[in-house]
Amino acid sequence: MAKILIVAEHRDGKLKKSTFELVGASASAGNETHVALLGEGVADLAKEIGNYGANKVHVAQSAALKLYNAEAYTGVLAELAKGISPDVILASHTPTGRDFMPRLARRLDVGLASDCVTLAFEGTGIKVRRPVYSGKATAEVEFLGSGPRMATIRANALGLGKPDAGKSAESITATANVGETKTKTTDVVKGSSARPDVTEAAIVVSGGRALKGAENFKIIEEMADVLGAAVGASRAAVDAGYRPHRDQVGQTGKVVSPALYIACGISGAIQHLAGMRTSKTIVAINTDAEAPIYQIADYGVVGDLFQVVPALTDEFKKIKEH
Amino acid sequence: MTWQTFAFVLIAGFAFSYSGLKFKTLFELMRKHQGTSPKLDRIPERIQTAIANVLGQSAVNRKQPIGLLHTVIFWGFIIISIGTVEQFASTIHSAANFEFIGLGNYALLVRIQDFFTTAILVAVLGAFYRRIVVQPAGLGVSKDANVVLTFTGTLMVAILLMNAFFIVGHNPPYAASMPVSNALAGVIRGYGFSQTTNQVLFTAWKWIHMLLVLGFSMYIPSSKHLHILAAGPNTFLRKLDRAKAMRPIDFTNESLTQYGAAKITDFSWKDTLDYYSCTECGRCQDLCPAWNTGKELSPKKLIVDLKSNLYQNKSAILSGKSEEVGPIVDGKITEGVIWACTSCRACEVACPVFIEHTDKIYETRRNLVMMESKFPAEVQTVFKNMETNYSPWAFAASDRANWAEGLEVKTMAEVGSADGVDVLLWVGCAGSFDDRNKKVLRSFVSLLKKASVKFAILGTEEQCTGDAARRIGNEYLFQTLATANIETLNRYAVKKVVTACPHCFNILKNEYKDFGGKYEVVHHSQYISQMIREGKLKPAANLSAKVTFHDSCYLGRWNNVYDQPRAVLEAVPGLQLVEMKNNHDQSMCCGAGGGRMWMEETVGKRVNITRTEQALETGASVIAAACPFCMTMMNDGVKAKDKQDSVKVMDLAELMDQATT
Repeated sequence: MAKILIVAEHRDGKLKKSTFELVGASASAGNETHVALLGEGVADLAKEIGNYGANKVHVAQSAALKLYNAEAYTGVLAELAKGISPDVILASHTPTGRDFMPRLARRLDVGLASDCVTLAFEGTGIKVRRPVYSGKATAEVEFLGSGPRMATIRANALGLGKPDAGKSAESITATANVGETKTKTTDVVKGSSARPDVTEAAIVVSGGRALKGAENFKIIEEMADVLGAAVGASRAAVDAGYRPHRDQVGQTGKVVSPALYIACGISGAIQHLAGMRTSKTIVAINTDAEAPIYQIADYGVVGDLFQVVPALTDEFKKIKEH
Repeated sequence: MTWQTFAFVLIAGFAFSYSGLKFKTLFELMRKHQGTSPKLDRIPERIQTAIANVLGQSAVNRKQPIGLLHTVIFWGFIIISIGTVEQFASTIHSAANFEFIGLGNYALLVRIQDFFTTAILVAVLGAFYRRIVVQPAGLGVSKDANVVLTFTGTLMVAILLMNAFFIVGHNPPYAASMPVSNALAGVIRGYGFSQTTNQVLFTAWKWIHMLLVLGFSMYIPSSKHLHILAAGPNTFLRKLDRAKAMRPIDFTNESLTQYGAAKITDFSWKDTLDYYSCTECGRCQDLCPAWNTGKELSPKKLIVDLKSNLYQNKSAILSGKSEEVGPIVDGKITEGVIWACTSCRACEVACPVFIEHTDKIYETRRNLVMMESKFPAEVQTVFKNMETNYSPWAFAASDRANWAEGLEVKTMAEVGSADGVDVLLWVGCAGSFDDRNKKVLRSFVSLLKKASVKFAILGTEEQCTGDAARRIGNEYLFQTLATANIETLNRYAVKKVVTACPHCFNILKNEYKDFGGKYEVVHHSQYISQMIREGKLKPAANLSAKVTFHDSCYLGRWNNVYDQPRAVLEAVPGLQLVEMKNNHDQSMCCGAGGGRMWMEETVGKRVNITRTEQALETGASVIAAACPFCMTMMNDGVKAKDKQDSVKVMDLAELMDQATT
């Protein structure tokens, strides 16, 4: 049994599922589970954390913590960690976790295993595995030396347990001494899209130049929304101005490897293949049966995407409704 | 001693001391450069090129009518300088004129001078017309140039008027030998000035002329007109061969504390001579694919900005305070400038004074990449792939030979040694992994089989040649790949290599030499052309297509291979070869060279689109390529122009394979 400190992540007054994953995994392994909850006006969130089996929630509140700020988080967490002296500190491998955990590790002068996909508790320590070489292999990480073991865990890697309304955690007010910081977060501006980022999504629906216009990407967006997928694009589509560069999948764009990749009107030039060929399942929709994309596709539909895509979207909708 | 002698000696002494000191500074600046000096070998060839291009004005005359104007001014000045020398000499001592050569000879001398003075004046007016009325794009507005032209024009007017007043005043026996001055003298006589007035005006124009010459000598060192002194030596010191290799870095030398060029002084003194030689004619800029598509890079501006960087750091350089010398990538030369280059060398081909623009870019890139770790983010993936997969694309090295499945192509490992084959086929990464280019390789293999050529590939033992890594500036990665490849090639005692990729071709042929890899390397266009000549391939099927050939930079400008690819196309029955407006060494890059293949192109218009438009203008139904990167770029261009149904991009090997049985 170990003493675990988990850093909770929340946005707009709601805790992230990945935080519950971590709390559930720690508690169900019988660990003394502490959760650090930083923010302003977040005390109410402690209850929900308790439902997943946490023992203690340390609530640090300050106006300076209202919006996420790496420096503020690091300072408060370092102080908290010194007080609790946990065996293990965990956070989700999200953009936020990726931001403050390395800083915290430096502050505590210990190592950090980032982007872990498995987590096992052993005595007072942990064993984690992380993918290397673009997921071609997995490395098992062992911690040496003394001090807390730190790791960031990929979202969806542990699975979400069931909350138990009968369980509750003790809520403790922690000091939130932010002090002087070099930067201050004044505002968080949301991206225009509510869709996930192509590199993070489990499903990516991509369109190519065959869409013939930015406005025609609507059918790709519709399919993506039904599937909860991200929208990607080929370089040709980006060059033609149909999509912004951040959506570009390929050698010079983003490299993705989702569970499902649906390529619509993309011939599969090497430039594109280089960015998505490691996807687990690839579906190609193209009029040209000779297109190289079919060489790597698991499923292919030879046909006009303007007919195939809406038809597929309708079918997906039906499946979701049932 | 007359007052004139006294005044002249004083003024001339001042002027020459002033310009002498300036030249000394320019020379000192050259000496303070750290970079590797060029090799001074093959002297007879150097003398030959200097005669052809300096005295013969050969490179300048590639562009007309300005080449002719320049030649007139160049030769004119050499000839009238005899008169200037005579005048200076006779001003110091009146007897020191050149009349001692005899009246007949002297009459001939002044006749030639009168003619050239007038010719220069006409040429200067022509140059003015070009700058002010025609305004060619590459030239830009240059105050410096206008000052120089005004100087030169006024100088000629002064000479003619001086001579005219002399004729009026002295009526020399050779007056008729100076038709222009003599005619002007006739006009002056009409005014009926007194003899004294004539004498005063003669003296005035003579002094105007002399002061202009002396003033000019003071102006030259800090002007772009410095080229009149620098361009000659620069031509003599030029790289003699079109094919050249990038300078290797010795990584075993542990005393090296810096790679590439960070400061202007990291270049060599020859680079400085390059800046001194530049007269800002803009021929480089006119041909530059980056500039012509709206990028930050202009090769002309690069040289001008390097020169201005040099002058800005003058005092720090001269006083030896190297830590105070500012960086090359300053406000004027941005990283955007450095990364926009496609290494097509159109600038170097265009330059009439043999400036080498691209080496300066490579050296700066080396510093940015290896010292500063500053490069376009997307290149990181390429480096990583080359390190782990030996290919710029992230495909498994173990799949490298999969393209040849079913073709019964032997690997060197199966053959055992190069003695068992005629030639080694170097496949390259594009041929190995890019579906479009796999087809090209399959066609070429088919041709080799038709011609019963015994060949083998390295298969999974082949690695990327490292061209892109080297051009981007990652010399270390390049050398790692090169060393591995050379080890493999030498183990099989390979002597002859053929490849369908001009980038592999250039590196294997010209750049592996420096690392112990010496092979006879031919491009597949050369090999196919030879197989046709030897009768091993007999193109018979009529293709009846209009085809335009897109020159690959690494085949053409880097290696002077222009004719063989065209010979291959012309051997195809029914094929009509049409040239794009820009062809041979004036060809435009597809936009993929110099590692640009692996970078995003977000500024301006895309290079491949512009080149594709030039190809489409010919009305050809096939764009023939001889390079996998050109193929990709032109294919993308054709698709972007929505012409994929009517225009195909094909490799020479594919066309020839269709034409033969």
